[in-house]
Amino acid sequence: MASYTPPRPSLWSHTGPSGRLVFGVFLITVVGLWGLTPKTVFGVVLAWPHAALWGAVGWGRVGLSMRVVALLIVFGLLQDITFNAPLGCFVIVNLIVYGLSTAAASTFDMKQDTLMSFIVPAGLFFVGFFVLWILASSFADHAVRVMPLLAYMLATGLTYVLVADLFDLGRRPGTLSGSS
Amino acid sequence: MKRLSRTGPTASKRGVRSYALIALVLGFLGFMVAQGAPQVSGLFEPVRTAASDRLAGGEERGMLSKLVGRGAKSARIRELEGEVRELSRYKAAAISMAERLEAYENILNLMGEPPARGITARVSAENDGPFAQTLLANAGQIQGVEPGSVAINEGGLVGRVILLGERSSRILLVTDFNSRIPVMGEVSGVRAILYGGRDSVGSITDMPESDSFIEGERILTSAEGGAFPRGLVVGKAMSEGRNWRVQFGMAKRDGGYIQLIPPPLIPKPVAYVAPEDPPVTASPAQGVRQ
Repeated sequence: MASYTPPRPSLWSHTGPSGRLVFGVFLITVVGLWGLTPKTVFGVVLAWPHAALWGAVGWGRVGLSMRVVALLIVFGLLQDITFNAPLGCFVIVNLIVYGLSTAAASTFDMKQDTLMSFIVPAGLFFVGFFVLWILASSFADHAVRVMPLLAYMLATGLTYVLVADLFDLGRRPGTLSGSS
Repeated sequence: MKRLSRTGPTASKRGVRSYALIALVLGFLGFMVAQGAPQVSGLFEPVRTAASDRLAGGEERGMLSKLVGRGAKSARIRELEGEVRELSRYKAAAISMAERLEAYENILNLMGEPPARGITARVSAENDGPFAQTLLANAGQIQGVEPGSVAINEGGLVGRVILLGERSSRILLVTDFNSRIPVMGEVSGVRAILYGGRDSVGSITDMPESDSFIEGERILTSAEGGAFPRGLVVGKAMSEGRNWRVQFGMAKRDGGYIQLIPPPLIPKPVAYVAPEDPPVTASPAQGVRQ
């Protein structure tokens, strides 16, 4: 009679929030740097995801943490420089999305409710890019193009489905396991 | 119990963090608005250029390439690439000179412009975001790029340097909505102002009412205003209803390299100094005659 052996817990499940945060930072940095290179396939320019928003949405699910805020500020400033945006623009977008993500996580049961786990990130990405559009249009004194932003939003949202688990910290960084 | 209360997020701590987040968002919003003033944005320009330098020109100092012995090969490849670029520049110059010679033979006394020597740079980063459409190239002041240099590629005019670092240059593309380029038709000679658009096709403004471009003719820079040299290919004219659009030439021939040529030099006018009246003195000869 075959006895049931529970599956071995993965290395990821043993990793604490700080380790997961470091891995997330590494992933965002790699994807962000890769995104600086020209990406054209058969003459069509590929939309590249705004990886920092993955962190803002995913890391917000465990509540507010000043470490994450500091990281998002750094990523935002780097995005401002690479996109030639006024300094602070992407920082605002990242922080607003992060704040809303923490608020949504404390309001909805994101882990059990599958529908909300899709709708809330989609809404957060929309808000993020809408804020970006408003800031960019205000800065440029005219309504900037929407299509590139929509492409970026789709790319960010669709790829987030694949990497969402990598941005789940489990619990807030700086807290012990068992404490909420 | 004490441990839990130390680490667990109490309501007051959560409130403090929320207020801190809101304060940060508002602070950065204020910071962003403050950058509307040139004095404030000028303060942060060195930060931008330094960061761009790191982004654009960091590969030669890579520790990994030195460790794995890839540095020598990469250096040789770069050297050969440099030679090829140098030779291709001569080739382009030869073709240009041949065309010019033909023009000289047809039209006597035509004074052409000598080909400008520039610096070829690799496009390090490009972003098609909601902000100004720019490129980052891996050549800056150290390589001899000048402020306001004009960027061209195999297809034609690419843009103009708007931010210059030590090892990098940020180039505002001609496809950007904010770019304004004085242009003229190669055959028709009609002059107008070209600006970028949302659909990556240029639009024409300030065109004379009586004249019109010719369908398919090349659109060149007219050098009015002094920002661009005369005769650089920008694209091809195409009519769209009653309006004229320009299909950019740079988009078709994007090889990842651009040439940065110095902007046309317009010498400042020298203030006129009135000659002083010579003092009236009698010469010895005059004295003898008297």
